[in-house]
Amino acid sequence: MGLRKACNFPAQEQAAAEPGGLEQLLRQLADPDPESRRRAARKLAVHPEAAAPLAARLAEEPEPDVREAIATSLSAIGGPQTVASLIPQLASDDAPLRNTAIEILQHLPTDVATHIDSLLASPDPDLRIFAVNIMETLSHPRMEEWLGVVLRGDPDVNVVGTALNLLSEIATESILPAVEEARVRFASEPYISFVCQAVERRVREA
Amino acid sequence: MKRVLIVDDATTVRLYHRQILEQAGFAVEEAINGLEALEKAVADHYDLYLVDVNMPRMDGYTFLRQLRARDEVYQAPAVMISTESQEKDRKAAYAAGANYYMVKPVKPDLLARLAGLLTGGGAHDPTP
Amino acid sequence: MPDVRITEADFRAFRELFYRKTGIWFEDSKRYFVDRRLSERILASGNGSFLHYYQRLRYMEGGAEWQALINAMTVNETYFFREVHQFECLVNSMLEETVKRKGRNKPIRIWCIPSSSGEEPYSVALYLLERWERLDEFDVEILASDIDSEALERARDGIYSSRSVQNLPKEYVQKYFTALPGGEYLLCDEVRSAVSFSQVNLMDPLQTAPFSDIDIVFCRNLLIYFDDVSRRRAAETLYEALAPGGFICLGHSESMSRISSLFTLRRFPDAIVYQKPFGRAV
Repeated sequence: MGLRKACNFPAQEQAAAEPGGLEQLLRQLADPDPESRRRAARKLAVHPEAAAPLAARLAEEPEPDVREAIATSLSAIGGPQTVASLIPQLASDDAPLRNTAIEILQHLPTDVATHIDSLLASPDPDLRIFAVNIMETLSHPRMEEWLGVVLRGDPDVNVVGTALNLLSEIATESILPAVEEARVRFASEPYISFVCQAVERRVREA
Repeated sequence: MKRVLIVDDATTVRLYHRQILEQAGFAVEEAINGLEALEKAVADHYDLYLVDVNMPRMDGYTFLRQLRARDEVYQAPAVMISTESQEKDRKAAYAAGANYYMVKPVKPDLLARLAGLLTGGGAHDPTP
Repeated sequence: MPDVRITEADFRAFRELFYRKTGIWFEDSKRYFVDRRLSERILASGNGSFLHYYQRLRYMEGGAEWQALINAMTVNETYFFREVHQFECLVNSMLEETVKRKGRNKPIRIWCIPSSSGEEPYSVALYLLERWERLDEFDVEILASDIDSEALERARDGIYSSRSVQNLPKEYVQKYFTALPGGEYLLCDEVRSAVSFSQVNLMDPLQTAPFSDIDIVFCRNLLIYFDDVSRRRAAETLYEALAPGGFICLGHSESMSRISSLFTLRRFPDAIVYQKPFGRAV
């Protein structure tokens, strides 16, 4: 008893992997045993073709640690297929699922850029908010254009608020006229005045 | 001084609520997601929680459910603040453990008054 | 070399971004500390101004610059009994729960990763020897891993500077170290041989697969340097290595809130640690 040096450690034979073929892993993703599903989800990180099935599973998976593994693998796979599979989930009623989708998408800025136009044109203000959220990590020549459109014309106060919140960190002089328009449009909303001020201050003091 | 934890991933929203509540006499702390909020709730005492719904890592509903499940943490009242105005979202908030539900963006005087009411009549403890 | 100009607004913007990324918040009083190091990083990375640097940081997910920046902003010395409250927590709380869960049949496994030059796993050993009354009732294995083979070699050698041991009670130094002519200290064989060192890259599943059924992980001041996706993968690896109910301790300025939602927060008298859930949530 007491401190004991671990014998034969680490034993490399234990590293004999479970079979990792794509077909097998995809089947395992639907296994009744959650631990088995979690392992499959982790191993699928190296299979880009698994993007769509993983995203589909994300929407159905009840176990938090399996969802986490799926999300991490999707983040690692990335690419347009991942983005296309996750965008529909932004409209889900399931708050954790929506937020997981946003989080993954925020890490895939280049692939997400092609979807921003359609998201911003959605009749659902939540989707337009998510479009702005996703722009957090996006460095794109059309950023100012997109945000300008929101500031000048979006009818929803929270979409405009989200855009202004982002601009309070990245704004440059050229967006200020649009900011002023937003302030006027939502003159009765103290929060909007507050954020407009924050944007203007940031531009002035940079 | 009564302490409020503001939980929201948007920097300016946190700042806006902070200003309102500090002016009303509260001490304010912040968290950017439900996980950070839970850590702070476990480590410190708060008299009120202001909770956004949509945040990365852990959303507001999940945070509230986990907070309410912890016997060792003082169960302060929680105001859920969300962009969603539908009845089902209100119900979901209460089911998760919120005491009140407000739609964003909030008006300063409303928030200040509500915060005062929920923390027993004011930011300052009447007893010395 | 002229410093880069960093305005009050720049400092606030930087502080906010850094906080979102790491959970570390710089009070106004740290302005000088931050400005200096920020200025150095801006110049070292070849950026002409704060604004350019800030923009690069926002859009560059991980990468060498964030790592260098975090390195510059955090204090990184390793020494014996660093963040000692976690070792207190080990012997006062975590081990008690561990033995209740495990019984006597299997050894208790503690994994230190990164082990760096060994101060941490050896600190665990010393704490167990001196501060855990129940040590003779159980088998305890201390596993220590690092990606850096040179650090591992230094760890196996067990020779430390006086600075490294200055946090240790004098009696421990006398009891477990031999003073060397050069002013350094050689850790005794009993403790050195109690730790199993291995070279492991936490991001390599083949290398981490053998680590299983771990009861307590010390992963201090490593994850904070990883980018968001790598942090999550690392957290999952550690989650997988842990036995259900097992504990993990991060560095004092690290938090799972920027890393992973897999673990349950546990508050003990000496420390706040994270735990792998036991069963599955209903």
